[in-house]
Amino acid sequence: MWKIIKLLLPALIPSWNFFDVIVPSPRIQFSIIKSINDASDWQEFRPRPGHISFLTMLRRMLWNPTWNESLFLVSCAERLLENPTAHSEKEIFKRIKAELVADNDKEALLKFRLLFIHREGDELKEKVEYESQPQAIVEDMNK
Amino acid sequence: MNIEFAIRVTEILIGFAFVLQSAEHIKRFRNEQLIFIPRLLLSILLIFGFQTQWVIAALFILGVAMLVRFQGPYNGGADRMSLLILSCLCLAHFLPVLQWRELAFGYLAIQFILSYFISGWVKVINPEWRNGQALVDVFNFSAYPVSESLRGLADSPRLLLFMSWSVIIFELVFPLSMLSSITMTIALVIAASFHFANACLFGLNRFFWIWIAAYPSILWFQQRVFDTI
Repeated sequence: MWKIIKLLLPALIPSWNFFDVIVPSPRIQFSIIKSINDASDWQEFRPRPGHISFLTMLRRMLWNPTWNESLFLVSCAERLLENPTAHSEKEIFKRIKAELVADNDKEALLKFRLLFIHREGDELKEKVEYESQPQAIVEDMNK
Repeated sequence: MNIEFAIRVTEILIGFAFVLQSAEHIKRFRNEQLIFIPRLLLSILLIFGFQTQWVIAALFILGVAMLVRFQGPYNGGADRMSLLILSCLCLAHFLPVLQWRELAFGYLAIQFILSYFISGWVKVINPEWRNGQALVDVFNFSAYPVSESLRGLADSPRLLLFMSWSVIIFELVFPLSMLSSITMTIALVIAASFHFANACLFGLNRFFWIWIAAYPSILWFQQRVFDTI
C-alpha cells in the first residue's frame, strides 16, 4: 500500500519541474552474440531517423506508439542509473527482444548497455554506465 | 461556463486522449492489454457520458494499476496529469456538497496554473536556461529531438536563446492570464501552440492532448474567481 501511495503522490501533488536541468542523456545499445565469450558488436536501439516530414509529425499527434515506448525506455534507463531494479532491466530487454526475435537465431544471446551522453565545456562526452548480462533472445514476451 | 458543463467537457477530452493512448498498447504485450483494452472501452463510455462517475472511478483504478505495472509513469508528466485530472473528477463527482466539488475541480485549475509557473521558475533560476545553453543541450544531445536533422538547431544559439526566454516569460506570466477571460483565451491558444511544437519537435503528443483536457477547469475557474470578485 505504501508503495502505491509513493507512486501516486507525485501525480496528486506534482512538482512540475520540467527540463529544469539538462541531465546526461541515455542511449540504449544492444549486441547479439552466439556465446558468452563472443566479442560485442554494439548497435543503437531505434536510432532516430535523419529527417521527419511535417505530415509525419501531424500523424504522430494521433498515433505515436514506437516513440512513446522509446520515451518509456529512456525513463527505464534513467531509473537503472539512479536506482537499479530488475523491473527496468526487464522492460528494456523485453522491448528489444520483441523487435529482434523474428530476425535472429533462436539460440542467440542478447545483451544491452546504457551509454550516457553529457556535455563538458564545449565537448560532448559518452560514458557507459550500465551493461547487462547476456540473456537468451527468445522468451515468453508476456512475462 | 458552469461546473457541470466544464466537468463534462473535461470528461470528453480526457476520454479522447485515453482512447489515443490506449489504442497504442492494444497490439503490444498481453499483460499490457489487460490494462489497456478495459481502459479503451471505459474511455469510449466516458466520451458518450455513460455512468460517468463510475467510469471515472474505474479509470482512476486503472491509472493506479498502470503506475504499478510500469513502476512509475509510462510517459512522465502526461501520465501524472492524467491521474491528477481523474482524481479531481472523481472528487468532483462523489463529494456531497457543491462547494467541496468546486474546491476539487478548482484544485485541478490551480495545479494547471502551477504547471506553467513552476516550470518557468525552475528555468529562470538556472543560468544555463537564461543564456540559452540548456535548450542548445536539449537539441544537441538529449533523447527528445525526433530526427537527426532537428539536432541542427543546436547550431542556432541566438534562435534558441530567443526561444528559451519566450518559454520562460510565457510560463512565468501565465498566472496573470487569470485577470480576464480574453487574456485567458489568448494564453491558452499560446499554450496549445507551445504543446503542439513540443509534440512535433520532441514527440510529446500525449502532453498536448492531456493538457488540453485540463483547459475547461481553468476556463471555469477564471470565470468563477472573476465573477466572485
